[in-house]
Amino acid sequence: MEYPDKFNQGISQNKAVHVYFSQAIPLVSYIDDSCLRLKEDKCDICSGVCKTGAIDFRQTPLKTDINVGAIILSSGITPFDPSVKEEYGYTKIDNVVTSMDYERLLSSTGPFEGEVKRISDKTNPKKIAWIQCVGSRRVTKGDNSYCSGVCCTYTQKQVILTKTHYEDAECTIFHNDIRSFGKDFERFFQRAEQLPGVEFIRSYASIEREIPESGNVIVRYATADDGVKREEFDMVVLSVGLNPPEAYKEISQKFGIELNSHGFSKSDSSNPIKTNRPGIFVSGAFQGPTDIPESVFSASGASSQIGELLDYRRGKLAKERVYPVERDVTGEEPKIGVFVCHCGANISSVVNVPSTVEYALTLPNVVYATEQIFSCATNSAREITDLAIEKGFNRVVIAACSPRTLEPLFQDTLREAGLNQYYLDMANIREHCSWVHAKQKDEATKKAHDIVRMSVARASRLEPLQEFDLSVNKTALVVGGGVAGMTCALSIAKQGHEVQLVEKAKDLGGMSRRLHTTLEGLDVQAHLDNLIQMVYQNPRIHVSHESTIKHVDGYIGNFTTTIETEGRTKEIKHGASVLAIGAQEYKPSEYLYGTNESVFTHMELGEEIARENDVVLDAEVLVMIQCVGSRNEERNYCSRVCCGHAVKNAIKLKKLNPEMRIYVLFRDVRTYGFREDSYREAMEMGVQFIRYTPEDPPVVEETKEGGKVVIRVIVSDPILGQRLELDADVLSLAAAVIPASTTPEIARMFKAALSVDEFFKEAHVKLKPVEFATDGVFLCGTAHYPKHIPETINQSYGAAGRALTLLSQDTVTTSGTVARINYKTCVGCQTCLPLCPYGAISYNSKKKVCVVNQILCKGCGNCASACPCHCANLLGYKPEQILTQIGAI
Amino acid sequence: METIAPFIEVIDEIKEAGGEVFKMCFQCGLCDAVCPWNKVRNFSMRKLIREAAFGLTEIEGEDIWRCTTCGTCPDQCPRGVKQIDISVALRRVATEYEVFPASVKSARTARASLISEGNPLQGDRKKRSDWAKGLSVKPFTEDMEALYFVGCYLSYDPRMKKVATATANILNKAGVQFGILGDKESCCGESIRKTGSEEVFKNLAKQNIKTFIDAGVKKIIVSSPHCFHTFKNEYPEFMVNFEVIHMSQYVLELINDGRLELTGDYKEKVTFHDPCYLGRHNNVYDEPRDLLNKVSGLELVEMENFRSNSLCCGGGGGRIWMDTPQKERFSDIRLEQAKEAGAKVLATSCPYCITNFEESRLNLEYEDILEVKDITEIISEML
Amino acid sequence: MGNDVLPKEVVQQFSDTLISNIAENKNFGDVMVVGGGVSGIQASLDLATAGFKVYMVEKGPSIGGHMAQLDKTFPTNDCSM
Repeated sequence: MEYPDKFNQGISQNKAVHVYFSQAIPLVSYIDDSCLRLKEDKCDICSGVCKTGAIDFRQTPLKTDINVGAIILSSGITPFDPSVKEEYGYTKIDNVVTSMDYERLLSSTGPFEGEVKRISDKTNPKKIAWIQCVGSRRVTKGDNSYCSGVCCTYTQKQVILTKTHYEDAECTIFHNDIRSFGKDFERFFQRAEQLPGVEFIRSYASIEREIPESGNVIVRYATADDGVKREEFDMVVLSVGLNPPEAYKEISQKFGIELNSHGFSKSDSSNPIKTNRPGIFVSGAFQGPTDIPESVFSASGASSQIGELLDYRRGKLAKERVYPVERDVTGEEPKIGVFVCHCGANISSVVNVPSTVEYALTLPNVVYATEQIFSCATNSAREITDLAIEKGFNRVVIAACSPRTLEPLFQDTLREAGLNQYYLDMANIREHCSWVHAKQKDEATKKAHDIVRMSVARASRLEPLQEFDLSVNKTALVVGGGVAGMTCALSIAKQGHEVQLVEKAKDLGGMSRRLHTTLEGLDVQAHLDNLIQMVYQNPRIHVSHESTIKHVDGYIGNFTTTIETEGRTKEIKHGASVLAIGAQEYKPSEYLYGTNESVFTHMELGEEIARENDVVLDAEVLVMIQCVGSRNEERNYCSRVCCGHAVKNAIKLKKLNPEMRIYVLFRDVRTYGFREDSYREAMEMGVQFIRYTPEDPPVVEETKEGGKVVIRVIVSDPILGQRLELDADVLSLAAAVIPASTTPEIARMFKAALSVDEFFKEAHVKLKPVEFATDGVFLCGTAHYPKHIPETINQSYGAAGRALTLLSQDTVTTSGTVARINYKTCVGCQTCLPLCPYGAISYNSKKKVCVVNQILCKGCGNCASACPCHCANLLGYKPEQILTQIGAI
Repeated sequence: METIAPFIEVIDEIKEAGGEVFKMCFQCGLCDAVCPWNKVRNFSMRKLIREAAFGLTEIEGEDIWRCTTCGTCPDQCPRGVKQIDISVALRRVATEYEVFPASVKSARTARASLISEGNPLQGDRKKRSDWAKGLSVKPFTEDMEALYFVGCYLSYDPRMKKVATATANILNKAGVQFGILGDKESCCGESIRKTGSEEVFKNLAKQNIKTFIDAGVKKIIVSSPHCFHTFKNEYPEFMVNFEVIHMSQYVLELINDGRLELTGDYKEKVTFHDPCYLGRHNNVYDEPRDLLNKVSGLELVEMENFRSNSLCCGGGGGRIWMDTPQKERFSDIRLEQAKEAGAKVLATSCPYCITNFEESRLNLEYEDILEVKDITEIISEML
Repeated sequence: MGNDVLPKEVVQQFSDTLISNIAENKNFGDVMVVGGGVSGIQASLDLATAGFKVYMVEKGPSIGGHMAQLDKTFPTNDCSM
């Protein structure tokens, strides 16, 4: 008996006893509620065949009482179910699937092992349509009025992946705005849009019907110039939005927390992590629709706030992890175990895994080789450990993916087996092989053999490396005294750490000094005053005003930063650094800015409204132009906050002067999340939105009309097919948010990386969203990317939370993969010195040799490759190790 | 491309006429995608709304008169734009200026007839109850169970009189104590209102309300979904509330209460067309189908578009009185759908739908292929 | 989440910092994380690293949440695992 498999969205079948999915944690079989025994008290086959007697039908739900000091609700979301509305055709038409279904279809662990097949006839669809905003941005019954924020970009991802799977696929996306508001989203959209056979059409689409003979679906959509079109697709994907967690009402009742009208946690925009109930916090998408990076840093933020609350209990309850004693194998002959991973079907659908295992067994020093479905799964890692002990390996080769993500996991596996973790080599047969040679299976298998052979050769030359512990200075340095810096500083200080807060201006507050309200209604100035007061009142926070960073020395746990305050310099010793230096507003050169005094930026407009400037408040016609200085060649990113800003100012102005005619000229309205409700509110108040394209931007000129000077704005409206002439009294420009001018300098001193757009670049978008690749340095706020105040606050707590994972330790461990310079052979030529991007090499003028600081060294190998006398070596990548590897080609 | 300034006075006029909801539109185009017009010719509700938003409406054009008020687009509109209200507002403005395109002229005739005779069909008011001659149909009195509000088409139109007769037969067989208002009955006014003649509607409504109150009416049974809609949802604007029940609901009730018994077999494949004003506007989908399913031998099949996705016959919004070129008639598509579904009988429950379907039946030469019937006609045959 | 949130659910041991003997710990310094998706996992890891004991409560048979069902993740197209 088989039942629809929940993990695969019911597309494939599974038995009542099964493993939830192949990388599940814990990786054990379980019995779901389709079990005949549980339903009808029939059947007892499984307990009969289970040799270990693990099946026990006498189990009953176990009630456990636990005492906790704080709770985090990270209950996530539920994907919108389109079957609630007939119009979407879901469940009635086979080849209409949701985006969640489509994820499973794309996945190598999915129902067809990574082949996208139609449910109706199991053929590959060639023409696929995506319909956006399914369940979102709609006031119709059963839908949600808010924007789910993630669908535009996940659809682009699905399009890109579809085109990778099937080069000749034709993808059409029906949408009304492209909301690429996040970091690198704009480029991601362009990447999808520029693929051949991909078309983005600005129209919501209606599913007309299924053609019974072919199973194809007819879709209708509107065009501005060519009327309604009717098109046949092999498959339609509904880009479903995010609903609150299924049991939101119950969660609210059980935990006594308030919800907003949409069923998400009711948040206070001064602290979105907090609930109305002290001690209960919210992280992730239960705060409101968010993407993965935000779910990750709001989680770190929640843990920081719990740290503030329960600091006194810290460290009293956890248990140290103990590894077996490391076995000295230096005298032994290499005995290598090789594990070849299927990676579901990511590798095995291209590379012949059994043949690769067989091949590995023929290689010198290999004593054992086997295959694994997912080497990274808990049970597989356990298998590696067990076999290493049982068979006595002293080297391990994992033929799987890139070491980037999983090397630490496998190193840990080796330590569990009592081996030095540097006896590991990863042969990358996925990124370097199966993913790039999907169409040449035989050659790919040969290449996999080559890669494994090289890896085995290198492995036989590996040496044990030593990591060492460094003490951690418990003080944090926070650079930047805006909302981000202050929020982060306060959270760290409240957990018992000294914080040095460095601000370049005379006053604290940063950019928020110029903001008066948020769309959510936060009184920014009051919040700011409160923050500043708390900062000054906190005895652990030491503020340096009008200060600049002069020099940064040291490394994780032990930084020494020199700052200059009014001509005097001082040294600060600290263990962690948080860079919260903010961003600044672009000064437009466009649209009469600077030449006509009735032309403002949105930020200035906000200030003029707060100051009750009559020129602004009494304007008969006010025009706003969006995307000024953003989303262009020079700055190929969306400034994210401007659409919200425009709507906020427009609503405010309409409240003060209902007669004012306000026109917002936009490219895409990006009021993501609950901001969509405000967009609708502005329309309700009569604010008019006019779409323009970058090819045909608005034209602005100063002219006289009826004796008074007006700003004439001319813009084409695509639906009218006419140019509109708007005579404005006031023009407001959505000026781009650009990196602070000090960003490159600060980045250089802290060895922090910058992204293409010159904002700070995080170490990993999802795994380390508030950290730099340089250990011990964290980031938050608009220096990372433009963001709204509540988002900044979330991220600032997040940075504090991550900083605490460092500051709460007495020691940190550094990597063993570092460079070493043999001072006996070093001639002191200093070739390596300027090549080190981490400033880890210094010249000892007494001994006339170069010396590597092993803590600063990140193991990049620049010095080793440049050293003319071969005295610089990168441990783990010594010449003989690399040459052996190359020699095995 | 022309450069033009927003026409503020026109915007204000449209707002005043009740069309302000144009401001909610974000031009997603879904209204155009679902609009039945785009099955027969190009028509953009989205553009109509956009033009209204900037006061750039072509008041004298055909487009403002196209909307059949079928309710498909407002049902699905993500922004809650009430497209019908906007259409009506634009028509009010045009009516105010008395500018009409040629196709709308016949609706002006209907309007004149409504003002003078209380019906749009140029029928003599005194002859309103002539259809009932020889049938035992009494004038309504206060002690009766219900008022049967016959409606204009059933009173005057030769085809629709058959429906009135069938209805009277059913009510009599069930022993219902009912009566009619005769020449005191006036058109309900629903459709003329949609053409922008608000005053005419108000006068008709007031006349009817006065008649109802004077006669002591509490419960009204109607044959037309348009009467049903306006009594139920629009007359309350005049602070009155009557119990209104559509004939399909009432007959089902009679059967369920054991007051009416069906005999005989109806060995036909029948499909049911949901009239816009019964279905989408008032959510009555189940009762007509339940009623047909009570008929022994009858096999109910569905067409491609059914229930909330039903295809408009083209007669709503006053379009029943306007000229539609033959190639642009939705009713032709509907008949083809019925044929496609294998039905021999296209049953429905609305005088406009039947009128349009009968005409399409002649034009398509479907006389031998398909019969068009009101539900009551089928039921009446089974008594 | 089922009808009885806590009782029916699997109280999961998360990371090696967890202590299994619950009965002994009548204190209020521990933290409960409700939901084992990406946010819950990150919160638990951070809390554990920063020295707290964490109880993670997940209704499903595995942690990972909806993210585990995703093939790749934008905008980097990393594997969701």
